[in-house]
Amino acid sequence: MSTTPRVSSAIAGEPAHFSSVLAHQPAIAEAFTELYAAFWGSDVLAARIKEVARMRNARVTECGFCRNVRFDKALGQGLGEEIVDDIDWGYETSDKLSDAEKAVLKFTDAVIHDPELLTGDAQAALQRHLSPEQIAELGLGLTLFLALAKALITMGLEPDVMGRTVLPTPAPAEMA
Amino acid sequence: MNGPVASALAGSPVLGAKFEAFRSAAHDALGEEFTAQIRHAVAQVHGMGETPPPSNAPPSGNAPAAALAYARRIPFEHTAITDADAAAVIAEIGEARFVAFSVVAALADAECRAQKVDLAGLTA
Repeated sequence: MSTTPRVSSAIAGEPAHFSSVLAHQPAIAEAFTELYAAFWGSDVLAARIKEVARMRNARVTECGFCRNVRFDKALGQGLGEEIVDDIDWGYETSDKLSDAEKAVLKFTDAVIHDPELLTGDAQAALQRHLSPEQIAELGLGLTLFLALAKALITMGLEPDVMGRTVLPTPAPAEMA
Repeated sequence: MNGPVASALAGSPVLGAKFEAFRSAAHDALGEEFTAQIRHAVAQVHGMGETPPPSNAPPSGNAPAAALAYARRIPFEHTAITDADAAAVIAEIGEARFVAFSVVAALADAECRAQKVDLAGLTA
């Protein structure tokens, strides 16, 4: 896995990173930014749940950038590092993750790793804790997390060294 | 609605529209035929029957062989793709199209996975 960018920055004076590389395709960049902001701005599914799924995706895909970023909205909803540490193999036995979060993690693993993990019990647990609209939003999030992680990795945009970095949660632009 | 994620978002029109806009932007940037070939290649790795390219031709259109081989590694071997693999594709299609290609291939993989867990069925 390379930490040497395979694509140059499209923004003069800026190093190659996700935004500066995606700038080679402005229409994609704009549509992604609007979608990602709308996704995180929606409260149908709590940001904490979304972040639990994003952290799991980061671990499974080995996306170092994703793994070190924290969105502040989820932090504000109580997702501390002691809980994030449990989003690892064996999360089923965690006493810090809720039953809803464990059901979300099982579904996350089924989507990004092995669909056979979505057993009848796992599906029942997911549907017990989440409404259809929440499952749809989770499915969208997993689609974006997985695609983003794989795009970052395959474009060589993984960091050499990166500490935990808290970022403002993407949000829709203010209406004029 | 195109694909399992868009179908699942039928009850969330704002997110559904924005997802369609993102997906269309990526597909338009790569071109219809190239996109169809990449999606077909990724779906084959997942053992799924993706709709064939519009011409009903086998995936031998305008996508370079290096790009198709690269796309086939996205589902299960994304961390094993080398700098040389990427350079070979960039040499064929250029940097800007490589960015679109990376998004299209990764999105195709994610949509196949959503299909395999029947995301749309779970939200019906």
